[in-house]
Amino acid sequence: MSTRISASLVVNEKSEIACMSCGHTLGPSGKPWKDAARLSETPLEGAAGKPYSNAANALLRRFYCPGCATILDSETALAGDPFLNDVVHI
Amino acid sequence: MDPITFSIIRHRLYRVIDEAVITLKHVSGSAITNEGHDLMVSLYRADGSLLMGGVGFLHHLTSAAEACKSIIRRFEGRVNEGDVFLTNCPYTAALHTSDVYLVAPIHYDGKLVAWSACFVHVYDIGAMVPGGFSPDSRDIFTEGFSSPGLKLVDQGEMNHDIMDTILNMVRAPEMVALDLSSMIAANNVARERTAALVHKYGPEAVDQACQMLVDQSEESFRERLQELPDGRWESRQYFDIEEETYCVLLAMTKKDDTLHFDFTGSSEQSKYGINCAYWATWGGFFAPLFPLLCYDITWNDGVLRPISMTAPEGTIVNCTRPAPISLATVGAIQSVNNAACTCISKMLSASEKYAKEATAIWHGSHFAIFMFGQNQKGQEAIGIMTETFGGAGGGRSFADGVDVGGEIPNPIGRMANVETTENHFPVRYLFRRATGDSGGPGEYRGGTGLEYAIQQHDAPDGGIHYVISGKGTKFSMSEGLGGGYPGAPCNYRWIHNNEAAAAGKNVNPFAISTDQMTGEQQSVSWGVYPLMDQDVLYVRSDGGGGYGDPLARAPDKLARDVRQGNVSEGVARNVYGVVLDAAGEADVAASEAARAAIRATRLNQEAAE
Repeated sequence: MSTRISASLVVNEKSEIACMSCGHTLGPSGKPWKDAARLSETPLEGAAGKPYSNAANALLRRFYCPGCATILDSETALAGDPFLNDVVHI
Repeated sequence: MDPITFSIIRHRLYRVIDEAVITLKHVSGSAITNEGHDLMVSLYRADGSLLMGGVGFLHHLTSAAEACKSIIRRFEGRVNEGDVFLTNCPYTAALHTSDVYLVAPIHYDGKLVAWSACFVHVYDIGAMVPGGFSPDSRDIFTEGFSSPGLKLVDQGEMNHDIMDTILNMVRAPEMVALDLSSMIAANNVARERTAALVHKYGPEAVDQACQMLVDQSEESFRERLQELPDGRWESRQYFDIEEETYCVLLAMTKKDDTLHFDFTGSSEQSKYGINCAYWATWGGFFAPLFPLLCYDITWNDGVLRPISMTAPEGTIVNCTRPAPISLATVGAIQSVNNAACTCISKMLSASEKYAKEATAIWHGSHFAIFMFGQNQKGQEAIGIMTETFGGAGGGRSFADGVDVGGEIPNPIGRMANVETTENHFPVRYLFRRATGDSGGPGEYRGGTGLEYAIQQHDAPDGGIHYVISGKGTKFSMSEGLGGGYPGAPCNYRWIHNNEAAAAGKNVNPFAISTDQMTGEQQSVSWGVYPLMDQDVLYVRSDGGGGYGDPLARAPDKLARDVRQGNVSEGVARNVYGVVLDAAGEADVAASEAARAAIRATRLNQEAAE
């Protein structure tokens, strides 16, 4: 029995954070999980078509599940910003 | 109290507000009130606490409570039946000087039983720049008339000395008089209808019902919070003004039946008027909280009780006097709205029961444009381009964001039609439409924003001026949710057709895109600019944030998006991994291959650690 903790993550029966799509685990429940994900950090400029062309300096971070490549979370940031960490207590 | 009587009183209070809002709109003459619904009417208890929040801009519900409380303190022993008080001081309660509060006591049988309060963004407030948004102000002293409290109406009699003083300090005084009259009328209706309710059911019964209403909201809200998981969620909002970058940082902690909003780490207060004061930040996170968490709970003081806030003094979310503040509503307050929307939605996403209530950010930047100058009728025309209320919906777990779908903090906001704007200002639209590729990609994409271009037309002075208080040009402010992309940023351009014409180039007076415009295109985002002769102002608003992984979006939806111009074929292929065939339908095999290639690329990325 898993418990949902975000739009893309669950906590499994072993109290591990896991991808909702494939079950790949990303660390213990109640702790930040993003370090265990694959990260793409690219300029927001041009990320999704012409209207993004003036987004100077901003970065688009996408955190992928190492198991199935689903995007687990995204955030905009400046270079060097810490990750936004969400912690849910089950 | 029997539940039927309680329910009747509750609904009568709702109707009191509805009728007061209708009255306000009937009397007001400005587009920002009637079209944009930049207004609010609510009812408050005798101690000034929120009893029944109304519609309009929701961050005013709690700020007007502080307005009532400040009037109670300032006028202790001098509050009489038929009085109407005015305050617009941002360091007392208001959000910025342009949003004028008129609050009125409601008496029954000689005893104070409640307050009504309302606001509109007045036509002008006497700031450096017409309309109130004052990008060149460096302190509140140049942002127009500001009062911590005045008795505008004394026991039913207008205090003409005060009214005339205010009207003597503003441009277009006849319109400001109409704004103030509309709020007096709204308060009159609220007072008469509330007094009639008290007369019918008796003051004790109504007071008991009001207390029950507040207690019921508190109990219901605490129960809801108990249903949601404990945790801590973070959100970050960047925005740019000129060459400077500001950040609103929020960490929201939910524990048991309480919620804490902590803005520690937000930028120091700015020299520009995008700051907001303490009560504005307090109201700023309630604007998304009320509709997202309390959609079935009466919006009153009971909802406020489980909530606390940390907003460090001297930051853009709690600036100190005399920091400039005239653009707070389209500045830091909106970023507070956005950050809170994201944190609340992340919390909702962690609940099986409430995940469907979560949403990516709607309409992250207000892209506000204020116009001023002589219009084609010889009148002094001042006002906002109401496209600022057009917005763009955020994606949700079950549906796309609504294209040009408004915003969460003002659920009844809307924009005027083109003809209304052309009637009021000496301009003509070259085009106004939804912008393709502006909605943040996602399994459920963000709603598209809009773009428009205007040119002066029949202006006695050869043109008009505009105040641009844009943000969100370098950063996307409509964050995605659950892996969705943020919506596209805003864009503003001054197209110098006059110079092109002077150089002998052919200028197309009917251009339907910026590509067809001859003049040099200059990016602008902050300050006061002319719109003269053949020059063009182009404005593109931001799109809504997307929800979920774009690779999970159904291919047939992409085919429809491309057909309708909401997504380009290139973005469909490169971001969504959907390839269309010659007939414009999704090519299933080619799309599966494209998506497999994108997934492989993702898995080749380094670990985040």
